[in-house]
Amino acid sequence: MNAHHDMSDTDVLSTARDSLSAMPVAGPPDLETIMARGRARRHRQRLIPAMAGTLAVAAGAALAVTMLAPAGHRAAPQAAPQAGHQPAARLTAWTVTKLRSGDISVTIRELKDPAGLQSALRSDGVPASVTFAGQLNPACRSYPNGSIAWPPLPPASLLRQVFPKPYGTIPPAAHQSRGWSRAPGTGGTPPATPASGQTVIVIAPSALPGNAGVQIATTHDAHWIGPVRVVYASQHCTGS
Amino acid sequence: MSNERAEFAEFFSTGWEPCLRAVLAVVGSPQLAEDQVAEAFVRAWASWRKVRRHPAPRAWVVRTALNAGASWWRQRSRELPLAGHDLTAPGPGEGLDATLLTALRHLPPRQREVIALRIFLDLDTDTIARQLGIEAGTVRMHLSRGVMALRRELADTNEHGG
Repeated sequence: MNAHHDMSDTDVLSTARDSLSAMPVAGPPDLETIMARGRARRHRQRLIPAMAGTLAVAAGAALAVTMLAPAGHRAAPQAAPQAGHQPAARLTAWTVTKLRSGDISVTIRELKDPAGLQSALRSDGVPASVTFAGQLNPACRSYPNGSIAWPPLPPASLLRQVFPKPYGTIPPAAHQSRGWSRAPGTGGTPPATPASGQTVIVIAPSALPGNAGVQIATTHDAHWIGPVRVVYASQHCTGS
Repeated sequence: MSNERAEFAEFFSTGWEPCLRAVLAVVGSPQLAEDQVAEAFVRAWASWRKVRRHPAPRAWVVRTALNAGASWWRQRSRELPLAGHDLTAPGPGEGLDATLLTALRHLPPRQREVIALRIFLDLDTDTIARQLGIEAGTVRMHLSRGVMALRRELADTNEHGG
């Protein structure tokens, strides 16, 4: 038995406090740094409800449009290849669908009527250039970080944001070597159809910078529906 | 606004050390404790109009720091084995303070929090209960068991160390 066995609870706590308070600890960090970080945090806290409200309004508007408008734009059925809205009784060359998220899904089954697809995308608010003729529109200039570098590298961040699919779902190395939309055909003739029968491209318009648009094309030498890339918007390239 | 700045500056300069000691007693790692308490003061300034009206603003900081630590540990526990990771036995000659700190670290987390809030922030049982969201009777139980363990540690130190 020693003195510590006889200590009251208060004495134990006092001894512990005195002993632990004598241990050296770090001094406070710079007050201005703490306050600057606090201010930044406060601004973020204010922004989040405002953004949530905006998103809710946008989601509501998108839902209303989805319910009131036709399901989307379709190219003419294969038997009657004129652009326009048609019931989906037969597969069309391409379909443009506005998703509830605000993204736009483009399904391409046949490389026909690029002007119709271009027009459909533009009417959905996406400045776009579409060519299936084997040549890129020479008026289009690639936006920084908006295209794949050569040799193949992981797609730049802006490209991934604007085209979340397939770039968001396929390993970067597969883009060039196995091709998410490699089409059959050789030589200098553009392919008639995507390799897998259809290609789905998702476009996130919200990720587009204000002066940017998208380009969808086939090329003679690569036989892809590609490159898809982000380009500077202009009258001659994307129509606006 | 300048009045609020002055208030917060005073709160920060006088509250840093007791809050840091309380959090250190619970988490054990000085670096982690400093990071968590700094982050808690950042949050305190971000919500200063609320925190300044809090009945125990220092307790708010400690609680916020420990909550931040909980999420830190949740992330880290997926990467590292935790068994004994932050428990370091005091070396020879490190003295009573190191022995007590080690004893605290061996207590269950809730007991550690109760002891730390009592020792360093001098909070009464009801305030601790409100801060931790538990019953006052539960606080008394944790306090009693924690004190018993500390008393045992102090006795052992006295017997071994003379």
